[in-house]
Amino acid sequence: MLGIDFNKISELLLFDIKDPLLFGSSLFFFLFFGLLLIYRLFAKSNNGRISILIFFSLFVYYKASGIFLLLLILNAIANFGFGKGMGEAKTQAGKRVYLILSLLFNLGLLAYFKYNNFFLQALNDFNFANLELLDILMPLGISFYTFKSLSYILDIYLEMMEPTDSFRDYFLFVSFFPNILSGPIDRAAKFLPQIRKEYFLSNKDIAMALMLIMMGLVKKIMIADYISLNFVDRVFDEPVRFTGVENLLAVYGYALQLYCDFSGYSDIAIGIGLLLGFKLMENFNYPFKAKSISDFWKRWHISLSSWLLDYVFRPLQIGLRDWRKAGNITALIITFVLVGFWHEASWAFLFWGLLHGIFMAFGLLVQGPKRKFYLKYKLNNSKIFGAFQIFITFNLVAFSFIFFKANNFESALDVLKQIVFFFKPGVFIQFVESFTPTFILIFFGFFFHFLPSSFSDKMVTLISKMNIIIQAIILTLIIWLVSQVQSADLQPFIYFQF
Amino acid sequence: MISERLKNIICKELLLDTKSVEINDETQATEVPGWDSLNHANIIVAIEKDYGIRFKGLEVLKCNNVGALQNLIDSKVSK
Repeated sequence: MLGIDFNKISELLLFDIKDPLLFGSSLFFFLFFGLLLIYRLFAKSNNGRISILIFFSLFVYYKASGIFLLLLILNAIANFGFGKGMGEAKTQAGKRVYLILSLLFNLGLLAYFKYNNFFLQALNDFNFANLELLDILMPLGISFYTFKSLSYILDIYLEMMEPTDSFRDYFLFVSFFPNILSGPIDRAAKFLPQIRKEYFLSNKDIAMALMLIMMGLVKKIMIADYISLNFVDRVFDEPVRFTGVENLLAVYGYALQLYCDFSGYSDIAIGIGLLLGFKLMENFNYPFKAKSISDFWKRWHISLSSWLLDYVFRPLQIGLRDWRKAGNITALIITFVLVGFWHEASWAFLFWGLLHGIFMAFGLLVQGPKRKFYLKYKLNNSKIFGAFQIFITFNLVAFSFIFFKANNFESALDVLKQIVFFFKPGVFIQFVESFTPTFILIFFGFFFHFLPSSFSDKMVTLISKMNIIIQAIILTLIIWLVSQVQSADLQPFIYFQF
Repeated sequence: MISERLKNIICKELLLDTKSVEINDETQATEVPGWDSLNHANIIVAIEKDYGIRFKGLEVLKCNNVGALQNLIDSKVSK
């Protein structure tokens, strides 16, 4: 009677590998709005509220990964069990048994799904064997939820937290839909206590959530998707067809694209979490304002860098402390190679990680003389020198991202060759004329990034003082504005592939 | 209670003036100027050298503030 096509609706809701429920899609906003309404109805019932959240999380994961939902459930059951066993173990040796079991289980599954073919290919390439590659599909978000689960186990082992008695709570921690597919990689110690808290949103929370969701949409759809489809991808697909200046702009553009894509996703995830009453971990803090590579890693993908700092770098560093500086450098190189390897099992990503390890190691080696030099010439408080440090750090980071983006080493080297040997600065004017919207978006993207961070705080305070109707109008306007520049299809988030 | 000896070792390693730095049981490494993840190991080595003790890796990793580090030192010294 109403002309509802139930087949079409079920198609929309069923697993489709090519159509996960992307933040920013109209279907997502429609379903999330429905979830919020029901969720608020159950605001007083903790059990009801959390059950709804778990159900919705299961749906989001099923929609993106189908049968792999069972793997997620298995992961939650196993790690809950390991945590409980570790908590009940009377001796350190007993705790260690559960730690080893958990590491074998979690890293074993990750290795099977994510790294198997890389190692088989490496064995073939080095002529150690002639093995056939496996036809394996990687479950979405496995790198993220594996690391979340491992942090729970490791924190219990390090006596930073007690294991939870509630499987319901633990399951929500692992499957929480805002951060299941691409993080932030939250810590159980911070997340679990929030489940039992009363659901209450202050005006400031709502304003903050709206601001994050709006900023996330603008970053992802207006900036990242637009510059990627209209400029960056074209250059990186065939760098030799473009001049050096265009290649350089594509490298800068890609740094901005990657930041807007991933931090846009994180902003939306954190904003959505906040509307559901959960404060998720901060993931980005104006990374291109960093004055050194170590500063950059305190601001970029914070939930991953702090994870590796706590569970990889620190144990290695303490274990190798007798080697003094050499111990620190070894720990840094291993940690950053793992950063690369975490992203993707490929030589280009390993090299990207190694590059950052080398940058960090170099920073450590010159730390002493640098400190004396800065003191002697009073450079610590110099704004001009600060800008110079930001410029150098940004260029090192953008350089490293060439290996992150390029399909292979040859293509990365082509980009560099064009920049060095075929720069043609005069082409810049032509670029601005023929890629005007791209140029404007890149310019404004960086401009907003370099505004003082107090600007964002002021916006949140301003929104929090507004009437709810005005807030809704602003949100609608932003969604409309974003839809005007949206490419035909919403582009998948870059970090979904990791 | 943080001993003067421990405070002196930390300040000497970080080139800090002991009078200008407040360190108590609850103080975390990140709250002390210059005590970052890179020179954390140097401070641990300096403590081990000064007290003539040896920590296990896991014992150090479990310390989440200076108070816990002081307790660990006390337990090693009294053995």
